[in-house]
Amino acid sequence: MNTIYNHIKGDKAIWFVVLLLAILSLLVVYSSIVTLAYRHHEGNTLYYLFRHSMFVIVGIGIIYAIHRVKYTYFSRISQLALYISIPLLILTLIIGANINEASRWLVIPVINQTFQTSDLAKLALIMYIARMLSLRQDEIKDFKRAFLPVVIPVLIVCALILPANFSTAAALFASCIVLMFIGRISLKHIISLIGIGIAGIALVLGLATIFPNMFPRAETWVNRIENFQRNDSKSNYQVEQSKIAIATGGIAGKGPGKSTQRNFLPHPYSDFIYAIVIEEYGLIGGFGVVLLYLILLYRSIRIVIKSPKTFGALLAIGISFSLVFQAMINMAVAVNLLPVTGQPLPMVSMGGTSIWFTCLAIGIILSVSVEVENGIKIKGNQYATA
Amino acid sequence: MDPKKDILWRIYLVYFIVCLFGIAILTKAVTIQFVEGDKWRSKAENLTTRYHNIEAARGNIYAADGSLLATSIPIYEVRMDLNTEAMTDALFNENVDSLAICLSAIFREKSPEKYKRELLKARKDGNRFHLIKRKVRFNQLKEMKNFPLFRLGRYKGGFIYLQQNKRQRPFRVLAARTIGYDRIGIQPVGLEGAYGRELKGVSGKRLMQKIAGGVWMPINDANEIDPKDGNDLYTAIDINIQDVAEYALLKQLQVHDAHHGCVVLMEVQTGEIKAIANLQKDEDGDYYEYYNYAVGESTEPGSTFKLASLMAAIEDGLVDLDDSVDTEDGTTQYYDEIMRDSHKGGFGKITVKRAFEVSSNVGISKIVWQSYSDNPQKFVDRLYKMNLNKPLGIEIAGEGKPYIKNAKDTLWSGITLPWMSIGYEVQLTPLQILTFYNAVANDGKMVKPKFVKEIRDKRNVIKKIDTEVIDDAICSEETISKAQKMLEGVVENGTAQNLKAASYKVAGKTGTAQIANANYGYKYDKKISYQASFVGYFPADNPKYSCIVVVNAPSKDVYYGNLVAGPIFKEVADKVYATSIEIHDELQPQQFASATAIPYSKNGYKRDLQKVLADLQMPLNDQSAESDWVVTITEADKVHIKPKKIYQNTIPNVAGMAVQDAVYLLENMGMQVKIRGKGTVKSQSVTAGSAVQKGQKIVLELS
Repeated sequence: MNTIYNHIKGDKAIWFVVLLLAILSLLVVYSSIVTLAYRHHEGNTLYYLFRHSMFVIVGIGIIYAIHRVKYTYFSRISQLALYISIPLLILTLIIGANINEASRWLVIPVINQTFQTSDLAKLALIMYIARMLSLRQDEIKDFKRAFLPVVIPVLIVCALILPANFSTAAALFASCIVLMFIGRISLKHIISLIGIGIAGIALVLGLATIFPNMFPRAETWVNRIENFQRNDSKSNYQVEQSKIAIATGGIAGKGPGKSTQRNFLPHPYSDFIYAIVIEEYGLIGGFGVVLLYLILLYRSIRIVIKSPKTFGALLAIGISFSLVFQAMINMAVAVNLLPVTGQPLPMVSMGGTSIWFTCLAIGIILSVSVEVENGIKIKGNQYATA
Repeated sequence: MDPKKDILWRIYLVYFIVCLFGIAILTKAVTIQFVEGDKWRSKAENLTTRYHNIEAARGNIYAADGSLLATSIPIYEVRMDLNTEAMTDALFNENVDSLAICLSAIFREKSPEKYKRELLKARKDGNRFHLIKRKVRFNQLKEMKNFPLFRLGRYKGGFIYLQQNKRQRPFRVLAARTIGYDRIGIQPVGLEGAYGRELKGVSGKRLMQKIAGGVWMPINDANEIDPKDGNDLYTAIDINIQDVAEYALLKQLQVHDAHHGCVVLMEVQTGEIKAIANLQKDEDGDYYEYYNYAVGESTEPGSTFKLASLMAAIEDGLVDLDDSVDTEDGTTQYYDEIMRDSHKGGFGKITVKRAFEVSSNVGISKIVWQSYSDNPQKFVDRLYKMNLNKPLGIEIAGEGKPYIKNAKDTLWSGITLPWMSIGYEVQLTPLQILTFYNAVANDGKMVKPKFVKEIRDKRNVIKKIDTEVIDDAICSEETISKAQKMLEGVVENGTAQNLKAASYKVAGKTGTAQIANANYGYKYDKKISYQASFVGYFPADNPKYSCIVVVNAPSKDVYYGNLVAGPIFKEVADKVYATSIEIHDELQPQQFASATAIPYSKNGYKRDLQKVLADLQMPLNDQSAESDWVVTITEADKVHIKPKKIYQNTIPNVAGMAVQDAVYLLENMGMQVKIRGKGTVKSQSVTAGSAVQKGQKIVLELS
């Protein structure tokens, strides 16, 4: 036990949060896949449990492997990853496996495993922005030297994700803006970027109504937003079922595996997993999950405070924020604070490879924290300004 | 500003906003639980899990021969969920016209336009349980499953059907009231009611949960209670006899325009009810089973009660069959009431037995009066001892209570005893009277009427219902044998001579009672209406069946028991006698003993004969040598066979041969054979020994 413990470096609190989320994930996913199991595997829930456990265990292996990598490598890797992900996004749009009419998935040739290219692009983009922001800190308020190099990849990636997955693009765009704000990009530029973003969305929706074939998903987006505003029970079936799950959960919950709403909620194991968490573990469980994500973000702030290098600080806070932000969106959808989107709850939802990308992200955060701890030990606190 | 500090405040600001986001999420969750909680929780109850009742199939009721008397057939109610999630406007609008046309075509109740209007309205109202049709038969349901929209099933097409079971009696009116019914909200009737619990079975329960597809899915096996189908009832009713009884009763009721009547046939030893028919005239003058008169109607029995009166007196040793009684001029007076015989002028001095045979009111009442007037309670006690005051306790609800007035009763008057002796001031149901007569037929052993013989669970007999003995001996053997003699006398020389049958002996008693008019309402103009009855058993020497026929309020002028009720009894008895093998006298074995032990056999093919005779172990003296065809000579102890000469191209002598052998032989030779008559060949048109000409006709005369 001790030897394993000694091998684990980095922020122990983050490790703790991740493990708790992973355990919760196994419990809730196992409970909520009954319907899926009935439809596809004659009620064999163990099939899904086994499969999901495999992803989680491999994921934790990924965290371990990544957190042992020196984080400075990620600066270069981010560049490479971005250059790979842009053509992959284009490829996905053209030939992607069609799930729910949304071209989001590509098949990794050798292991025959589908993955969402947006998961890769998301991570690559955040890392790349962290890199650019830290490289251009001296001239950060400059439009050409700082703003443009940052904003152009953001616009390209978001525009490529947008047709297939509006909410991911929007969330990523928001994360990038927040990251730019933290990275001290001129507020003037950021505000004009938000303007561009809104204009872009308006343009897409406009085009979608004129040329319906161009954005096959546009109808769903409009419906979801309209449904959110209308609050009509027939069309808002998912939300209603989610609310029933929350309302029947009570303070302490029905107990592990006792959910009944899993049978009514579409995707109870991913999009609406937070509703199942509250149903089974009550408000206490719901509060705990929110708290875990806030701890994750807080620990990343601690890394920023201690980080000697700007890249490490921005990398940790950027990745951490994008994860927590996605988590918040997922939970907000479950409690009907936001319209229905398909954002999974990081580390908790059943989602195959997207768990691995989350693990990759957490591995990077931990890698920075390892470096910070080492730096404190060796060089003392020395903040980079160069 | 220090870049690090600059970055940090920004991070804190973002962290603060994220925290607010988190708080907003939790606040919303709390709101859903506590502010809107009741609303959602009540919705949850309607949605999530539910016990679904699985109705058990009600058991069948069978006649003794296995004919179905009552069975359940499934019938469906079809409804439609017009607000199901998966039914889009496009889908609905596309199909509503063709669905309306299909519905109109199958049920022919409403026009397609009307169906369409209804569907559109239901859709607009968001009706999730719109009634399409009640009482849909199974084949119609099958067809409906292929209708537009419906074929998409419950979730997309909104097709809902609920199964109910409809009870049917394949023989309709036959024994309808005795079979009865068990409907919700109505007092159950007949055997359906009496054996309701056995027939009903146990409905199953299944905890079901609605899953994402809108499908109800069982949660687990442990919660399930499998429905247990109802048990089947095997009654004693013989459907053929029942049919005859019902029809004979109907005919007679129509002839006499009677208000109602009943027939019950009971097996003497077992008490099994083989037939029970009850018919009543309705307002249109048709007859139907409306009430189980045989079981439920207690009336003053009249003359049929005289048997009990005399048996009491005989049992108490107060009178004997050969004692004489003076019937005077057919009238006598008890206090200020005059009793009359229906036969004007009276019979003078006659024996007790004769008084019974002619059903003399004066005679019987005088016997009882002389025997018991000093102690009427003794008479009553004797009747009680014969169980006449006790209800039979049959399982069918609504048995009429017997009423035998007690001498201590305040209603007991001076004239009660004589009138009681001839069947007034007492009340009994037809079934109770029959049971009493049956006991007489059964040499004193009184058995309870038995409707149901067995209860079965599918093929397994789970309960055999034994004959219940009410009383091993209602009186002494001598009294019984005297009672039997009197009853035989009624048919031999008494009031029921019209029931005398050639092939079997009937014993019984007629009854003609006056019934207060008020019982039958305004429709009967006459002041007095009558109840004609006949009760008896057959064959009198060795009674197998007892039977009672009661016809109430025949409105024509004929009302005597022998004329109104008697023919029904006879028709039923004839039918029973004709169809019951066991009732016939056994053929005596001696009749065969004198006949030849060795059967006669025809001339024919040797090997056939050898085989038959060998199988029958008949001694055979074979002198046929090599010949295939043989002549048989049957002697008392053995059969001799001798060769029959058959030559090619020569007509053989086929006389004495079986037809098939003769035809075979001749046709093989090329002759055309014609046959006249039946039996063995007697003669042939072409003489034996003449040459065969192919195609020549030969006629065989058979005998």
